[in-house]
Parts: sequence; structure tokens; C-alpha cells
Amino acid sequence: MLPEVFAQRTDNTSELWLQEVTFERGHLYLIEAASGTGKSSLCAYLTGYRNDYSGTISFDQQDISGLKHAEWTSLRQHSLSHMFQELRLFPELTAWENVEIKNQLTRHKSNAEIERWFAALGIAEKRNTKLAHMSFGQQQRVALIRALCQPFDFLLADEPVSHLDQENSRIMGEIMTEEARRQGAAVIVTSIGHHMPLSYEKTYRL
Amino acid sequence: MRLIWKLLRKHVSVGQLAGFFLANLLGMLIVLLSLQFYEDVIPAFSGNDGVMKNTYIILSKRIAAVSTISGEAQTFSETDISELRRQPFARRVGAFTASQYEVYASLSMGGIGFGTDMFFESVADEFVDVQWPQRNYDDLWAQSPSATAATEIPIILPRTYLALYNFGFAQTKNLPKLSEGIVSMIAMDVRLTGEGGSVRNLKGRVVGFSTRLNTVLVPQQFMQSANAALAPHATAEPTRLIVEVENPANDAIADYMQKHGYELEDNSLEAGRATYFLKVVAALVMAIGLLISALSFYILMLSVYLLVQKNAEKLQNLLLIGYSAARVALPYQLLTVGLNALVLLLSLALLGWLRGLYLQRLWEMFPTLVEGSLVPALVLGLALFLLVSLLNIIAIRRKINNLQ
Repeated sequence: MLPEVFAQRTDNTSELWLQEVTFERGHLYLIEAASGTGKSSLCAYLTGYRNDYSGTISFDQQDISGLKHAEWTSLRQHSLSHMFQELRLFPELTAWENVEIKNQLTRHKSNAEIERWFAALGIAEKRNTKLAHMSFGQQQRVALIRALCQPFDFLLADEPVSHLDQENSRIMGEIMTEEARRQGAAVIVTSIGHHMPLSYEKTYRL
Repeated sequence: MRLIWKLLRKHVSVGQLAGFFLANLLGMLIVLLSLQFYEDVIPAFSGNDGVMKNTYIILSKRIAAVSTISGEAQTFSETDISELRRQPFARRVGAFTASQYEVYASLSMGGIGFGTDMFFESVADEFVDVQWPQRNYDDLWAQSPSATAATEIPIILPRTYLALYNFGFAQTKNLPKLSEGIVSMIAMDVRLTGEGGSVRNLKGRVVGFSTRLNTVLVPQQFMQSANAALAPHATAEPTRLIVEVENPANDAIADYMQKHGYELEDNSLEAGRATYFLKVVAALVMAIGLLISALSFYILMLSVYLLVQKNAEKLQNLLLIGYSAARVALPYQLLTVGLNALVLLLSLALLGWLRGLYLQRLWEMFPTLVEGSLVPALVLGLALFLLVSLLNIIAIRRKINNLQ
């Protein structure tokens, strides 16, 4: 697989582009990349909001280019969780409402569990603060909690800790892996350098 | 739903929606009012004629001094009729059959009797605006005259006769006015005298009044069997024809009549013209109303498209975190359908109010006017509401689908 914009390039040294790569449930992957190597494009392809690539992406042997809107909706509710690099939170809602809007849809987590995560990540007192009034690092933590409020086979975390300190990165990594382990799911983390201290089983360099 | 609405209500333009609301209200009101006014007023012009029915003209051959002297026929021949049938303006042509026997009708009330020579005519039932009683008269003539003396012949009189009596004659002579009901309770004696002086006494009873036909009518089937029985050697060529036309103001009709020396009974043409004019005006006003409705629909769609465009990022984010297009589209769909429903209800209420105002006036002019049904206006309003709402729902859904 290759993004169409890279089609003219001849200096491909990527361990992922133009290679056959398989991600499986239950594992922990790291994708390391320099800026502009197509990391966010990869995430967009995997979650179905872009398809400007050549090659094939398959989920369980099914080519995803043929999936319909309704099938993507179902995948995004039940199988694929994505923590976006640009977060895609709603600034006019509070931190709690941003999580609630997802959990209302999936009814996956109880309020107590969500509150526990808010506390663990140190944003409990920001619960009713409008997202627009929070720092990017705080917003990243809200985005993670939202991403966990659904059942998933794969959790795609696109630069989840770019604005977090070591301690919060560690807590975030723990929550993520614990939740993935409980569901037998895989976690795919991308990073441009500063990454979560986790025991990755496989690392790809884009 | 609450959270989604909290997100998506941003950029909802009250000004644009109010503009749509007023424009659509105006359009809808004009459409419904023109239809309702038409429904209410048309009976005043066309009597019992249904709304969508066509109008009728009655024609005869012109009586000129020359033809009176020369004895030229005043009747329509088969070729005259079939040629008329072929004309594009004529939908149906019916011939009046005149009685070939003498008719004498008399009435006796309280010892005072009066009677008069008269005539009967008949025309095919489909042209008669009053329902005849169902009966076959073939067996009448085989029986002895004494056995049939009590048989009643249904008769239809022109409504103008009754009006002439009530408002002209009775008024000046201080006689009681007669309602249609009272007239139909009176049975008169009818004596028919045929070829060779054969006489048949029957009863006659008025069963209705016609607005369309200006003659003394008996059922077509009775007329045919009576002519066959009482005047077997006479051939009855019609002297008058009734023609159903789509548009009595059509120039082709006047040209044709002129060329063939036919005459129109003025009354039917004038009433027909008035009805036609009213139809055209109502259709025109309704078309304007529909145009305004269509434009207001356009405003609404533009407003919603703008809204979707402005909120595109939010809508896309909702789709990306797993919301379905149907669920994301729902708030805007509800918003537009709600507005449409509000427009429908308000325009119906306004319609009722305005109708009350003009009905008051109409009753002053036509005291006997029977108000039209509200059903067509209700059905039309509901149909417009459903159509516009459906188009809104589909358009919004497609717009949202395009974001994925």
C-alpha cells in the first residue's frame, strides 16, 4: 500500500509503505515516523475517511475499499477506536460532555468508570470546563477517555502523548494497555519521537 | 440527542428560517385560499355541476323569416350532429327529443282547477343535473289506460321557472312562495293525446329543478317509449342539442356556430364563461401561490445547506466517532419538518379565519349558496406538507452523506 502522493518517489525506505504488513489483535505496535512520512494518512486510511492510496487494506480478508457508510459506522462503533492526532473534540462542549456524546452512542462505560479515568489522569476538576478553555495536553487526555468509551479490536492512537509529561504519558499508557488487554485488542501507537514508555512488540519505521 | 443538538444548533440562522417561514406561510395560504374560494364560490355559478366538470352549451338553429316562409327544417339532421361531434371543442353531444304527441297538464286544488297545453322534452340522462328515479316505462303502453292512470311520470323543471314564480309572480300577487320541496309534493294530471286521438291519462310529479336545462324534461326512456307507442309514424328530429365543452370561451365555438347558422342559449354560455373565468383566475392565483411556496422551499434548502456547510467539521467529527448519517441528519430534518408542520397549521387557521370573512359577504349576495367542502384544501395542504418535508429529508440526508 502507498499513498498516491508518494507514487513519484523513488527513495522508499519505509518498513510499511509498499510492504505487506499485518496487525493482529492482542498485540502492541509502534509506528515511528518523521514528519511528512504519511503517518496521519495511514490512520485516515485505516478508519475510512480517506481512500487516496494504491494497494489494498483488508480487515479479516475483506477489502475495505468496498465498505459502505453503514458498515464504517458499525466498525467505528464496535471495532475500531481512533484517538486522532488533531483530537476532533468539540470545543463548545465540556470535557465531560465530549466523553458523554460518545458513551451515549455505545453505552459502553459507566459514569463511575469514566470519573475514575478523569481522576487518574488528573483532570477531575476540569470535568465541567468547556474544552475550549483547556490546554492541548488536557484535551489529549479527554480524547483518550472518549476513545476508550467503546468496544474495539484495534485502538489507533495517533501521537497520543505529544503534549504530555512523562508521568501522564505513563498513566495514559497503563490505562490504554489495560483496557486493550481486557478486550483482547491491539493498540497501534504512532509517534514522531517522544513516545509512550510501553513494551512494544513490534516497531515499524515509516 | 440533547448533546448533538447543542452542537448542531450553532449557526442556525433565525433570520433565514423566519424568512422561509413567512414566505412559505404566504405561499401555502394563497394556494389553499384560492382552492377554498373556488370550492365555495363555484356552486353559485354552476349550480349542481361538479368542480372539475365541464360546461354545457345548448344550441338550436336560427329562426329566420326566410326559413319560416320556406318551411326549411329547423331540426338537426344526423349529418349535422356527427359533424358537430367531430369538432375538437365538443366533448359530448346530446340531442333533445321532443314529444310527438300532445300534452295537456292540469292541476286541481280545493275545487279550483287550471290546466294548460304544454310539451315534454328529453335528453340523455348523462346530461341531466338531477337524478331520475330508476324505472322502465316500456310495459306502460301495453296495459289498459285505466290501469295506468295512477302511474307517475317524473318531471324536471328549470330552476328559473320556480324563481320566476316566487320572485316575480307570487311576490306581486301576494301568493305564497313555493319551496322545491312543496312543489315536488304536488301531483298533476297529465293527458297525452297521440296519433288517431288515442288518449292516455297519467300523473306527473316534479322530481327536481335543473340549472342547466331550460325545458320541461321527462326521462329519455319514457319519451322514447311514449313516442313509439303514441306516434309510431312520426320521426322525431331534434331541434336542440346540448354540447359539453371544455372551454365555452373558445373562439372556435362561436365561429362554428356562426358558419352553420346555429344559435346558443345565452344563459348557459354566460354562466359557463363566468365559471371558466373563475377557474382560470383561481388556477392563476394558485400557480402564484405554488411559485412562492417553491421559492420559499428554495430559501429553506439554501439555509440548511449553508448550515451543514458551516457545521461540516462538527458533522464529520460526529460521523468519525461512530454516529450514523441518519442520526446526524435527524436534528436538521426535525427542524425543517417542524417548521413545515407549523406553516401548515398556521395557514389552515388563517384559511378558516379568512373564509369566515368572505363567506359572510357571499351569503349576503347569494343567500342560497351552499358552502363548499374543506376537504380538498385540507388534502392539498397535507399533500404539499408531505411533499416538501420528504424533499427536505432526502436533501439533508444526501448533503450529510456527501461529508463522509
